[in-house]
Amino acid sequence: MKKSKSKKQSNTQQEATNVEEFSFNITKIAVSQICKSVGFKRSQILALETLTLVATKYLEALAKSSVSFSNAANRTQSNLLDLTNALHDMSQVGFRGASTLYDNNCLLKSSVLEDLSAFVSSTAEIPFAKPIERAKEREMEKVKASTGNLQRGAHIPEWLPSFPDVVSNEKCNKRVNGEELWENSSSVLGCQSDGFEEKRNPGKLAKERARVKFRINGGGKRVQLNGYSGNNLFSQTKDEEPEAEYKKPIKSKENQNRVYKRRKL
Amino acid sequence: MNHNQQSGDAKNDDDSALSDFLASLMDYTPAIPDELVEHYLAKSGFQCPDVRLIRLVAVATQKFVAEVASDALQHCKARQAAVIKDKREKQQKDKHLILTMDDLSKSLLEK
Repeated sequence: MKKSKSKKQSNTQQEATNVEEFSFNITKIAVSQICKSVGFKRSQILALETLTLVATKYLEALAKSSVSFSNAANRTQSNLLDLTNALHDMSQVGFRGASTLYDNNCLLKSSVLEDLSAFVSSTAEIPFAKPIERAKEREMEKVKASTGNLQRGAHIPEWLPSFPDVVSNEKCNKRVNGEELWENSSSVLGCQSDGFEEKRNPGKLAKERARVKFRINGGGKRVQLNGYSGNNLFSQTKDEEPEAEYKKPIKSKENQNRVYKRRKL
Repeated sequence: MNHNQQSGDAKNDDDSALSDFLASLMDYTPAIPDELVEHYLAKSGFQCPDVRLIRLVAVATQKFVAEVASDALQHCKARQAAVIKDKREKQQKDKHLILTMDDLSKSLLEK
């Protein structure tokens, strides 16, 4: 498959579906123009795409190493020195003066920059073949449409959406997926309807609680414990007195307190 | 004393040469558009408000691609020089300068 470069309009125009393809297609046009300026008349499509990929990788590698140099110096913005060091790293063959690079403390004297300036002065300009849409006008329109963004302050980038309007939360008690606070949940509210008589403070213990009285081994000691539900200790007693004592507090003090029921195991 | 003065003069010359080079960059439009270079630089995290550095990156990439392409061209011409038989083929040689995967891979291998 050979594509002719002498024709300016390519017959195989593909519409880019995403950003990467779009930028890749534009880079392909630029690379093909460079190849034409070097002297090629035609090219294989696969070779052109490979060269374009190599060019993009080179660009990204230059940028990444320049960024890492600037980050190593506690800076976020790269400068000429970072870029020069990155160019030195990217030169596979080597360059003149590489061994005495840091002797004179002057990085800007490097031969890489001199070669670039010679390249600029010797090579003719290559204007880009196709017109490029300027996206800046669209961005300006978007910024003007949302005037609220200007009042946010300089620390918030403009490309972020504006803050949502603050609505009073009195009416918004219910959440989207039916989530509720545990105190309001059906499991807590449901248990209370089985016999516990707390309705004022759901999910919370009453401040005044009745003393729970137990008897060990039927008629022996009376152990008075507050709020202790040791089921294991009393599970073997067959007396019903503990139950009777349980029932008394329930009957006498109906309104207020939480009472622990002992389960016979 | 003299050595220090000379090194100071040399630095001033280099700085002026560099500033001239950066000024000439603004006159030279690279083959790769500025917006495209900015896109790839932003993708890699490169932040710089100075347009001259973006042009410098574009020129460096253009130089790299030009070098690879010229090496491939030399490979292509060397291959065709070995096949010359008639005068007709010599005229056809100029039209058949095609960038092939073989030449490209050889030039990239050397780089």
